[in-house]
Amino acid sequence: MRTLTDSGGAPSARTGRPPATPRSATSAGGRGLSRRAITMILLVAPALILLLLINAYPLVVAASQSVHNGTLIVTGEFVALTNYADVLTSPRFWSAARFTLIFTVVGVFGSWLVGMGLALLLRTRIPGRGLFKVLLMLPWVVPIVVSATAWNWLVGTATSPVPTAAAKLGFGELTFLADPTLAAITVCVFKVWVSFPFMMLMTSAALAAVDATVYEAAGIDGASRRQQFVHITLPLISRSTYISWILMTIFCVNDFPTIYLLTGGGPVDATSSLVVLAYRSVFQDLQTGPGVAIAFLMTLVLVIISTTLYRQIRKVDIA
Amino acid sequence: MNKATPGGVTRRGFLGLAGAAIAAPALAACNVSGNSGANNSGGGGGSLKFWDMPWGTPAYNELGKKLVTGYTPPEGSGKATYQVIQWNGFYQTFSSAIASKTGPAVSSGAGFQAFQFADQGQIAYADDFIETLKKDGTYDDFLPGVIDTMKTDKGYVAVPWQTDVRPFWYNKALLDQAGAKVPTTWDELLAAGLALKKIGVSGFATGSGADNPGGSHHMVAMMINNGGGLFDADGKPDCVTEANIQAMSFVRELTNEGIIDKGAVSYTIDNLDTQWNNKKAGIGIHSPGLAARASKVGKDLHVMSPLKSPSGTVAGLYFVNNLMMYTNTPSQEASEAFLKYYLSQIHTYWENPVGMAVPVLKSIASADYFAKDPNQVAIVEKWIPVCKTYAAQKTQSFAALAAVDGGQPLAKFAQTMLQGKTDPKAALTTLQQGLESIVKR
Repeated sequence: MRTLTDSGGAPSARTGRPPATPRSATSAGGRGLSRRAITMILLVAPALILLLLINAYPLVVAASQSVHNGTLIVTGEFVALTNYADVLTSPRFWSAARFTLIFTVVGVFGSWLVGMGLALLLRTRIPGRGLFKVLLMLPWVVPIVVSATAWNWLVGTATSPVPTAAAKLGFGELTFLADPTLAAITVCVFKVWVSFPFMMLMTSAALAAVDATVYEAAGIDGASRRQQFVHITLPLISRSTYISWILMTIFCVNDFPTIYLLTGGGPVDATSSLVVLAYRSVFQDLQTGPGVAIAFLMTLVLVIISTTLYRQIRKVDIA
Repeated sequence: MNKATPGGVTRRGFLGLAGAAIAAPALAACNVSGNSGANNSGGGGGSLKFWDMPWGTPAYNELGKKLVTGYTPPEGSGKATYQVIQWNGFYQTFSSAIASKTGPAVSSGAGFQAFQFADQGQIAYADDFIETLKKDGTYDDFLPGVIDTMKTDKGYVAVPWQTDVRPFWYNKALLDQAGAKVPTTWDELLAAGLALKKIGVSGFATGSGADNPGGSHHMVAMMINNGGGLFDADGKPDCVTEANIQAMSFVRELTNEGIIDKGAVSYTIDNLDTQWNNKKAGIGIHSPGLAARASKVGKDLHVMSPLKSPSGTVAGLYFVNNLMMYTNTPSQEASEAFLKYYLSQIHTYWENPVGMAVPVLKSIASADYFAKDPNQVAIVEKWIPVCKTYAAQKTQSFAALAAVDGGQPLAKFAQTMLQGKTDPKAALTTLQQGLESIVKR
């Protein structure tokens, strides 16, 4: 395998220059970085500096805000970890954390189940399969603002189509977004609806990579469809599955528009997730420090979850 | 080693270019951050930046742009530029612009924005400007009391230009159909609501869904109507009062009687407008522009007189929208000159109806073009004289009101009341704690 380090000894095809000797590749006296290393650092530097400006600088500013009691304009007084303590002792934070957990679990596994089911279905030779694929991608492709508006139109008021149909079917007057439990269910279902195409794509790609002869061999050995699915399909697509779980977990925990556009976190905080709570703290309650503290705590949780799942992927690779 | 290939660039040259590319924006950024002078001060190149919100139909902003670009500045001052700032995320927009010294010199904005930014040292107080208004007689043209709503201990934070009242509206056709009379007291409101309920219509249309502050406004309006409010005379949260408990008990009764729509807790502004348009709303508190928003039934919609509460008080809620000047300006004189010009032109918005709220100037309120709309006249004549701000019972507004209006504690409180399950005193106690946590910061 050709690497950057071993390329130093190869003749330069473009210039025809002889390979550089170790002496010429290092700085005088052999101390410090080689000229090649310096060149590479300098080449990487622009991208690195941009990355630092775009990511690291806001992160540092946000970290500073989380330990001050200021606003978006003024820094305020240093309050150490008071904002974190206030947040962690607030019932509203734990209520939001609980809903975030429910939303994420339903969002990840709901969309995965639906997506995988449809991906398996689309492998069968059904007429108009291409058209179905396109139609099934629509929830992912359509802007979330449009989807949320459409869902609000469907379920928002007593005269909306779904409550009207439910009433005619004898379910009584259902207020999908006004009842806390129904609102939480509606938001979770909406998330599954928006996300399943992504899972379907990921699973379809993974399924396409599975060698068909494996199934033929299993069939000859007498494995049933269920056994083939459990013992062949799931293990062979597990790497892709774990990656999609990691990504969807991050999507769900960080998902602001799905919830905010449909319910705004209500009624009475029933659908308030951590990211919605952080937003409302900063931009509605105008409490920058606590809001940013929530965002940092969320990041910490996401890092833990992602690392755990990533380790799972490595285990799969090793196996 | 460093020979350039024909038409190419040497490695050293490339690195130099890359360094320059990085250095240029960095140096530019340093220049911006180090420059608090004229270039970015409320308008590049000496021009004066005016930021405006979408206060009415799209025609409003088109008209606004014409007014601003038609401004002839005094000698030595730059022209004014016009920029529309959307309500969505306006706080971020203003805050980030002010923090980076690229904000406006003059702007309209949310009702308590001037108080909020004044608290952070970003507002140029309008005391001198108000003095000039007194001298030229414009001060006397303002409706009684409205200028005083801008007063703080440090001075006037802004100048009013329109009021956003929260009057009761009713649909006459629906009331007639239900055989109900237009209510003048809470008892009559309850009776009318029960009559409307029989024909499947809400007698207290409200909503507290995503991004809809209506529910919060309506709860506070009922408290103020009954002689209560969120604050005491010193501006400290004072929610658990007899007047407020009585008002919220009445709201709970309306909810439990089915007069308030069961789904109201989640209604967005659009949902609520749809309810009015679909003849599902018979009576309710709304903005002055309801007849235009619910155009399908606009001709049947009328403004009620303020209700007489059980406490014997007659009062309402309003927001005094204002024009504020910022410390980051080409010059204070330029800001004041522009503001004076703009105030002299705002009548245009009512001469060419563009979905505006209620004027603050008597000359506009008494003009023929304004008198064409009896609902707006009723708001000016019947409501404004008895209206109070969110600060009630304190007479002066203050910075924390920006967080109270639209903040989580009040929104959650409104939703709790609209569910009709919680004891009003318990809900008000929770609200008190929520407001204390916001106001103390």
